[in-house]
Amino acid sequence: MTTVESAVRTPSVLPPAMPVDLVAAGVVSAAGTGLQPLADALRQGAAAGGRADAEEGEAYPPMPLLAADFSPADLLGRKGLGRLTRTDRLGMAACALALAGADDPDGTGVVLGTSVGSTGGIARFTRETFVQERPYLVNPSDFPGTLMNSAAGRTAIRHGLTDTNATLSGGPLSSLYALRFARNALLHGHARQLLAGGVEELSPHGAWAWHRARVLAPGTALGEGAAVFALRRPAGHGSGQAPLARLAACEAGFADPARGPLAVGLRLARCVRDALARSGIAPADVAVVAPGAAGRRGWAAVEERALRTVLPPAPGRHRLRVQAVTGETHGAGVALQLAAVLARWQDPHTDAGRERAAVVTSLSSDGAVGCAVLLRPDAAC
Amino acid sequence: MSEKSADDGRRVVVTGLGAVSSLGLGARDLLSGIRAGRSGIGPIEQFDGAGFERTRAGEVRGFRPESHLTGTDPERWGRSGQFAAAAARMAVADAAADPAALSAGRTASCFGTTNGESQVLERLTAQWVAGGLSAVDPELAARADAGRIAQAVSAELDLGGEAVTVGTACAASNYAIGYGYDLIRTGEADAALCGGADASNRATHAGFHRLGALAEDVPRPFDEDRDGIVTAEGGAALLLEPLDAALARGARIYAEVLGYGMTCDARHMTNPDASSIAECIRRAHRNAGIKPGDVDYICAHGTGTRANDSTETAAVREVFTDRVPPISSIKSMLGHTMGAAAGFGALVCCAALAEGFLPPSATLRRLDPALGPDLDCVPGQARSARPRVAQNHGFAFGGNNAITIFGEFRA
Repeated sequence: MTTVESAVRTPSVLPPAMPVDLVAAGVVSAAGTGLQPLADALRQGAAAGGRADAEEGEAYPPMPLLAADFSPADLLGRKGLGRLTRTDRLGMAACALALAGADDPDGTGVVLGTSVGSTGGIARFTRETFVQERPYLVNPSDFPGTLMNSAAGRTAIRHGLTDTNATLSGGPLSSLYALRFARNALLHGHARQLLAGGVEELSPHGAWAWHRARVLAPGTALGEGAAVFALRRPAGHGSGQAPLARLAACEAGFADPARGPLAVGLRLARCVRDALARSGIAPADVAVVAPGAAGRRGWAAVEERALRTVLPPAPGRHRLRVQAVTGETHGAGVALQLAAVLARWQDPHTDAGRERAAVVTSLSSDGAVGCAVLLRPDAAC
Repeated sequence: MSEKSADDGRRVVVTGLGAVSSLGLGARDLLSGIRAGRSGIGPIEQFDGAGFERTRAGEVRGFRPESHLTGTDPERWGRSGQFAAAAARMAVADAAADPAALSAGRTASCFGTTNGESQVLERLTAQWVAGGLSAVDPELAARADAGRIAQAVSAELDLGGEAVTVGTACAASNYAIGYGYDLIRTGEADAALCGGADASNRATHAGFHRLGALAEDVPRPFDEDRDGIVTAEGGAALLLEPLDAALARGARIYAEVLGYGMTCDARHMTNPDASSIAECIRRAHRNAGIKPGDVDYICAHGTGTRANDSTETAAVREVFTDRVPPISSIKSMLGHTMGAAAGFGALVCCAALAEGFLPPSATLRRLDPALGPDLDCVPGQARSARPRVAQNHGFAFGGNNAITIFGEFRA
């Protein structure tokens, strides 16, 4: 292992990470709407899930599914709902909840991660080009929903948010990229507050691809959901809204899986070490670990091995099994892992009062790796 | 000119350009086509054009990924990823940068896209239509994620830094360049390959077709008779490095990245908004530390639709008031390359600053008088000039606007 590690890279020394605060959260998952249902489900180790979006004439494959349990009409109103894709609905609902929890909407933008956008919306729209009498006889009002930036753009319209509006993609790292992009934009004055997170929808089209690829670990459900956080630069003592948590570091890297899974695992381990070093957190202070690849055949073990080298199992270090509750949520994964940490920390029924720091990791079969370090607000001050 | 202070972090320069375009493979071929005002538009070949009333597109012809990719198996990637990886490989070669050094450092890959791996999604849909959802090919499905575009670049060049794909539609490359610029400025990255890629595909063509946004013949940005866009494809890549590192290795420097700005219209998903674009220009100027009077050239979003060109011109007039700099659209030659469009714009801006020319609006015949007086859209062919600051526009569905600013670099 050391030969691979030492033979590879000698990058420059990283500066300390600049933290940002999470002042509000909007969560839509199989556990329900908000953090408390997620905390309840995490304690129980399972969620019932909602009803998967029905698709005319298209059945889901025979695999476990965990749909988000939410009412789009209650959260977004009925007007114009029919035009929205499932991704639009999930993303807009989570953004609306996060914005409602923030004390000041001025100077706000939106930064969302998603793997391809609406898999169902893209598939249905493209299908029309094959089956209509003329290939261009598509429904024009469905066109914007086929773009990855639809949910972010529609959220901006709904709430009049004219600041930085971006959409990022990178498989299960999508939400982490959104957080990194948002942090950068905040620190360089492109926005005062950003609603940042990720969204992923369940559709029969996507589900069949997952089913046929057989990449999920036995017993892992395919899930969906969205988690969005209102992010701000840390305020001075006693000013501004009290944060839910501080994002102390947020690292990302890549290793080509063609070089073997070991290279990807080593790159993740270095990512975790960098994230801890840059946030000034000792491994011993990490009380919660939420891995992202836990539901993926083969890759779960690669992630575990990487975590063991930096954060070996220790008394008092809790492993948060997010996928058991949300299912595999791909582009929304990191955001829902962070939401799960927040849910645990605010849950009156969980004895987590002494937990200071949490590490969220993710790794994709395409070679992208990432790690976020979350600090409890009292520990962050 | 630029009033940036040392507190703004490291200076960032562009040292390499790479292009996979309808005007040729490699930045040199693209640029000679641009300077001559050539058209890259022809009949659709990437999908079956039967049944469409508009059957022209700006497609990349004769692209054999295996001739360009040396670090990764082309078969692993969709056409968009192949475009990005090939363009990035070309940019590294153009920069005469040491690939081993890029690989050893913390080099990021930041690429924008509108439709991701659209040809993969199109083939999956065709399989669904032909044999039902249970017939979709899992190997093909594994290549569908848009995020694989930046990852293809990282795999090709064996990069260990962040590999992020930006999905802010047709402005995406500018977001990617701005983000890569910040990563280097702040020391998060040692270098960055930035740009964008998209592939010609059926769904995009159908969508714009149905909106009535496709030109009958060629796009004619700023022309009185302009009638829309022509869908197009390609990949553009820029190598961004810290100035000190570029100087230390004696690199040729095309231009300095001065800054960027972003806004969101928050009004309509498909109609552009002049006041939001004007604000985006102001933010880009502020971030770059320049004043409107410093700008010598605007590489327009310039799609050739009636709405875009009039809205964009109105926004420019709002900021530049009495003196609008020359403004032209390279989409007159390339068509609308979607997520790669702002990347091509950035590439051409850097070359214009380094080599002293203004890119043309090649298809412009009669300037639209409704766009107002004293508008220089550089008709026909490129013009010799010495621009010192170039402003590159990228606007998108979803109201996503991003503008990058490049400055001449003098040693």
